[in-house]
Amino acid sequence: MRAIKGVLLTCDSAVKQILLTMNEKDPFVIEDLDDYHLVIKADEEYRVRRELEAELEKNTYSLEAN
Amino acid sequence: MPVQSLQNTDVILPQHTPHPLLPFLQSQSQNTLTRLYQRPSSCLSIFRLLGPIERQLIMNLLWLESAIPAATMSAWVMPEGKQAYDEALAVMAGLHIAPNSTVKLALNPTFKSSLRQAITGGGNTGSFGTPADKDYKRQSANIENLDAYALERWETILHYMVSSGQGQNPAKPSQGVLYLLQRSGLMNTAHGAILQITSSGFQFLLHSPHDQLWNLLLQYLHMAEERQMDLVEVLSFLFMLSTMDLGREYSTEPLSETQKAMLEDLRDYGLVWQRKASSKRFSPTRLATTLTSSSPPLPSSHSTGGSRAADATGTVALSSGAAQQGFIVLETNYRIYAYTDNPLQTAVLNLFITMKYRFPNLVVGMLTRESVRKALSNGISAEQIISYLTTHAHPQMRKNNPLLPVTVQDQIRLWELERNRLKSAEGYLYKDFASQADYEYVLAYAKQLDVVLWESAIKRCFFGTLEGHSNVRGFIERRTGAA
Amino acid sequence: MEKASHLSVIVDLSPTQWHLSAQASNQYPLSIETFLSQLLAFLNAHIASKHENTLVVFGALPGKSVMLYSSTELLTDDMPPLDANSYLPFKLVDSTVVRKIMDELDAIGKLEEEPPCALVGAVTKALCYINRITHHSSTTTGVAEDPTTLHDPRILILSVSPDLSSSYIPIMNAIFSAQKLKVTIDVCKVYGPDTVFLQQAAHLTDGSYIYLERRDALLQNLIMSFLSPPFIRKILAVPKQDKIDFRAACFCHKNIVDVGFVCSVCLSIFCQPLPVCSTCRTKFPINTLKRLNAARPAITPANSRMGVPLANLNNAATPRSTSTPVPNGMSNLR
Repeated sequence: MRAIKGVLLTCDSAVKQILLTMNEKDPFVIEDLDDYHLVIKADEEYRVRRELEAELEKNTYSLEAN
Repeated sequence: MPVQSLQNTDVILPQHTPHPLLPFLQSQSQNTLTRLYQRPSSCLSIFRLLGPIERQLIMNLLWLESAIPAATMSAWVMPEGKQAYDEALAVMAGLHIAPNSTVKLALNPTFKSSLRQAITGGGNTGSFGTPADKDYKRQSANIENLDAYALERWETILHYMVSSGQGQNPAKPSQGVLYLLQRSGLMNTAHGAILQITSSGFQFLLHSPHDQLWNLLLQYLHMAEERQMDLVEVLSFLFMLSTMDLGREYSTEPLSETQKAMLEDLRDYGLVWQRKASSKRFSPTRLATTLTSSSPPLPSSHSTGGSRAADATGTVALSSGAAQQGFIVLETNYRIYAYTDNPLQTAVLNLFITMKYRFPNLVVGMLTRESVRKALSNGISAEQIISYLTTHAHPQMRKNNPLLPVTVQDQIRLWELERNRLKSAEGYLYKDFASQADYEYVLAYAKQLDVVLWESAIKRCFFGTLEGHSNVRGFIERRTGAA
Repeated sequence: MEKASHLSVIVDLSPTQWHLSAQASNQYPLSIETFLSQLLAFLNAHIASKHENTLVVFGALPGKSVMLYSSTELLTDDMPPLDANSYLPFKLVDSTVVRKIMDELDAIGKLEEEPPCALVGAVTKALCYINRITHHSSTTTGVAEDPTTLHDPRILILSVSPDLSSSYIPIMNAIFSAQKLKVTIDVCKVYGPDTVFLQQAAHLTDGSYIYLERRDALLQNLIMSFLSPPFIRKILAVPKQDKIDFRAACFCHKNIVDVGFVCSVCLSIFCQPLPVCSTCRTKFPINTLKRLNAARPAITPANSRMGVPLANLNNAATPRSTSTPVPNGMSNLR
């Protein structure tokens, strides 16, 4: 039996795929649980959130920019 | 013969949210409350803060000389009103207005005699404020001046809050107000020595002035407790103010020392007006006289007020005031037209819209993803934005049903949801159990503690919260130790 | 948000009736002075309930009706002096109402014969008033979301005079307007016999009609039964009358009738069959008239002569045995 400290992330599957891609570059995932859940290293959470934010931001288009 | 009744039978009881002051009063000792109830004006004000059922029950009991069997009163309760009735009785018991009893119902004798006195007049408690002698040398402040004063004080506070994050330097409210803002957690000094608005401060800005006022006063009451001020004096002074007549001058002579000290604070908040600090007379402003009502405590946030009907009771002013509240037009293309020249309103709008043009009496802006996200990251919720737009909608908008364009409302909510695509929870992943039985046994224990966030029988692992870890670990250790 | 509630109180101020009411021979004599002091406490209780509650008091005097107090406009110029022991709005109500009533009663003191009280006039004024304030607030601010929109306006009639059968039509009209405005009419019969019309008024507007038996407990009765706005009455019940006298007054002689004849065109009520409706000028067939006359109970000897038993008339759906069935042209009241 093992207990591993970490952060449980709950997200939709699209976000999960982005996270997995990010993981390839710079690993932080401890365990891939299922389609909607991941366990990651606790001290990486802030960085992951920020990078995800930037990634998601690339996918939005605003009227203002045009 | 048209015997059918046109009254609609499906009237639901309007949602009554208990007044924020009531929990505070309930936390006070019976002794404090009984002392408070000695003053008719306090009883009247508290009576007004209660819900409609409590008020009716108190009135039913008020003129009875002796206690009545509880069954007699509950015989009048409709079956579907049972819950509301029980809740009302609980509120009254919590305030020691009617002691909790399953046998007899009666009002607290002090409360009863004071409320009777309030309604019939008379007595010599002087709890409704002693009017000042007429001053023939100077004219007393008229209602317009009082309103302007209250508005200026109040907006100074709000404006200071709203612009604190933007590096502007608006007029600073007094030290007492700043301390109160800090104490209430609406502002803090997280970054250096400069006061910064907090996320609860942003939410505060979108509340109605009435809620804002009580929010601050509650904080003031908590502070009063710490400053060893007599709470009964503080509360009864606030209640006295709330029953005073707008536009009159009252004498400071009969006030206690505590209450005289309060005058200074209340002057800063804009609740009372005094010609100068040493003056022996004071006038309550509309902020004070509407404390126990739901009419707008500020005359109107427009400086283009126009003709304001002033009368003895404020009823007419009330309806016209409400009409002037609305100034925002929101279109389906996310554009916002705000007919205002008030810098505070502009600043509040600026919290969640992108400004486009400004004219002397009109501000045009747009709800954009960026502007709403900025607001969301400041701690303002989508519902708060929507409710602010609803309450301040222009009379023209009120012809629409629904009031705000649905697309815009939905989009604001979607922008909020978009921020929450990722939820996280810290904890421990328990895996590699020796056997299925082992796994199930530990899982059952963790479930009992209600610490399981995720589980999978196939993978034979589960995720528990941080708080539950020591317990779960202890459990496993005890088990392996025993085995 | 709980909304403000409006109350219009109509006080029947017939000097004769109040004189009779104060007689010691009554089981519970009630003088107008005692009545007023308790009424004022009730009015104050209404204003006390909520800062925004509005109140209007009308007096029904012999031959005229007057507004005694209104919370939205000042009726007298001189404000009562401020006093540290009383709440100003209460004092304002008390002094205004008492002074106006005294003025009015003094003014009529000399009359030889007392004309009946203008109760209907007062009800109509109250309805106009309610219409004005509700209409006003809806034009300026629109939708019901406005917190100042009045919630369930009510009229409370404190009656001491008996029914005035000549006022049947105006009373019914007032009731219909009240229904339209969604106004609840409550009636408290403080003295005198039950009044048929006011019972109907309360019943048709979902109000409550109470015949005050314990007149020494006037205030308690007023508060228990009439203080609560309609939505509270769904939780704390108020007494309602169990039987209502639905009789109407005929249009021709203004008598309250048990059996009436109704014009099938305009629904006017008559105490006897007529060849031509006096309201809409409709002519009825002579045969019908004959039959109707024949069917009138007992009073006409024609009944037996023509040998038409009541039961033979072709109306089986008569709810009450006393009513006369009326085929063609005219139909019976119920």
